[in-house]
Amino acid sequence: MLVSEGVAAAPPRESAFQRMMANGQLKMVLIFVPPAILIFTVFVILPMIQAGLFSPYKWSGYGPVPWALNEDTGRTFGRWIGTTNFERMMSHSAFKQSLVNTLLVIGVSIAIQLPLAMTLALMIYRSSRINTVFRLIFFLPYVMAEVATGLIFSFVLDGNYGLSRSFADLMGWEKAFFPLAEKPWAFYCILGVIVWKYFGFHMMIFIAGLQSISSEVLEAAKIDGAKTLQSVFLIKLPLLWPSITISVFYAVLGGLQVFDLVMPMTAGGPSNSSHTLVSYLYNFGFIRLNIGFGSAVGVFLFVVGVAFAFLYRNTVQRGQ
Amino acid sequence: MAEVILNNVQKRFGSVEVIPDLSLRIADGSFTVLVGPSGCGKSTLLRMIAGLEDVSGGQVTIGGEDVTGAEPDKRGIAMVFQSYALYPHMTVRQNIGFALRLAKRPKQEIKERVEEAAEILKLGPLLDRKPRQLSGGQRQRVAIGRAIVRNPKVFLFDEPLSNLDAALRTQMRVELAELHAKLGATMIYVTHDQVEAMTMADQIVIMKSGVIQQSGQPMDLYKRPGNPFVAGFIGSPKMNLLEGRVAKDREAIVFGVRPEHIKVSDEGGEWRGVVRHAEHLGSDTVVYVDAEKVGALTVRLTGEVPLRAGSPVWMTPESGNVHLFRADGSVERV
Repeated sequence: MLVSEGVAAAPPRESAFQRMMANGQLKMVLIFVPPAILIFTVFVILPMIQAGLFSPYKWSGYGPVPWALNEDTGRTFGRWIGTTNFERMMSHSAFKQSLVNTLLVIGVSIAIQLPLAMTLALMIYRSSRINTVFRLIFFLPYVMAEVATGLIFSFVLDGNYGLSRSFADLMGWEKAFFPLAEKPWAFYCILGVIVWKYFGFHMMIFIAGLQSISSEVLEAAKIDGAKTLQSVFLIKLPLLWPSITISVFYAVLGGLQVFDLVMPMTAGGPSNSSHTLVSYLYNFGFIRLNIGFGSAVGVFLFVVGVAFAFLYRNTVQRGQ
Repeated sequence: MAEVILNNVQKRFGSVEVIPDLSLRIADGSFTVLVGPSGCGKSTLLRMIAGLEDVSGGQVTIGGEDVTGAEPDKRGIAMVFQSYALYPHMTVRQNIGFALRLAKRPKQEIKERVEEAAEILKLGPLLDRKPRQLSGGQRQRVAIGRAIVRNPKVFLFDEPLSNLDAALRTQMRVELAELHAKLGATMIYVTHDQVEAMTMADQIVIMKSGVIQQSGQPMDLYKRPGNPFVAGFIGSPKMNLLEGRVAKDREAIVFGVRPEHIKVSDEGGEWRGVVRHAEHLGSDTVVYVDAEKVGALTVRLTGEVPLRAGSPVWMTPESGNVHLFRADGSVERV
């Protein structure tokens, strides 16, 4: 076989690893990735695995793990009960109520909070000084700590000295009105606060989306004869679809996690009527020292959250 | 088709006066190009005709109808934007038919008119694609299709070719000129590119700081520029505008001669100089010369001329093609 001389052999191809070594990327990866993985593992992955392992036990939380042997009693700290925790949870009326309440939070977030945020975003998305002031005002509730917000509203809705008192006086009611202690009112008050607190966040997402729409596209629509509402429904909303799907995603996952507002306002009462899934978990798992039961609720929450995220990203958000 | 008349039109943004006082008549069926440097108010003027900017004072008339306060869609105009401004979520078909859909025209009519516009612009096979699946030139065609389908009295173009590459720009220039010939509609075209203005317009309006410097047919402006600004703006390479002694000797403030109107010789002439740089374009040679007494000059010679940096040359302005701009605003051509 003839081999032509004088033709330089092609240099050996660099592997991705060699390339990363050469351009310093590897050093960056080694410095920044391990701490992130460590923190994520310790605070997210391990607790999730633990919850899964604890959920089939009846365990008060004493001892290192439910299956460890207690040398004083000669038995394990916890007792294996299989799926009993899940069965108890499913048949518990307070759990059913908390599930309904959580669905209500999600429903209200999507049906009331997002349209409200969208309406306000459409009104104040253009750059002007007054719009900046309004944006700040509407966004302020989101910046406040949840517990502080809950406390403030527990004062506002107090029948002795809050706005609720003034309202009752105005209406000429003889009895004091404690909406947070009234079963028909308590959770709706929490829903109102959730809408008030988080609409600013969604409004900001929509404002960012609206500002990225080319002004020439809107002008073209104007020349084509689109009136204000037609421009909103036929141009702006379709172009905002990616922002809307992100907002719905956050609204649903946020709805599954509502806790800090419930505790200072009602602590789940009256008669466990205003629990959300997480406050139910906290009350019936940790407060009552049923770590196994709490873990079962946690596993349920995790499965629902992951299933939603997976389905949503593979259907609605596909291709975005 | 319609005549567009601007009567003492003014535009102020707060305390900034963009267009102090402007009057212009754009004849029915003409292709008028508004041209000028960035910030001269040409786009603002176009947007005022479109109704996208309020008029601070004066009157805008389209087809004999006062439209000064009318909404954009009530003016009988269509506009093509620099960025094409296509609706990204709609197909080409929906983009072109959007105005008809808003006007609640019957579906069959929309279909026919969209296909008719697509036929004119050779967009037939692309009708079901989204804008992101199109090239720059195809997008521009869709934008023009969206304008055609409305049967407007006046087409407005806001720098429609500036996002295209040079080859496509040349092609689209020809297509737009053909489209104008075919439709016979009034077209108003804004650009900062004087080549576009010269090649497409039958009326050029040159603006600077919101004021019309001169308007007229392209060759009129080329041959008889009314002031040094117009003289420098029209023509490529730009006219040599000389101040100082060469102008003073002829009782002018500026002595103007176009690069193609300077004769070059190696034996003798009016000005002596040394070639600083030469561009060999094949069909032409553009020579930059440092001339004694008059300073830097640009000379354009037909064909390939073997001049190199450092070559000594003699130059003489052609008689009859020298523009003397006087202090009183008059121009003499000698």
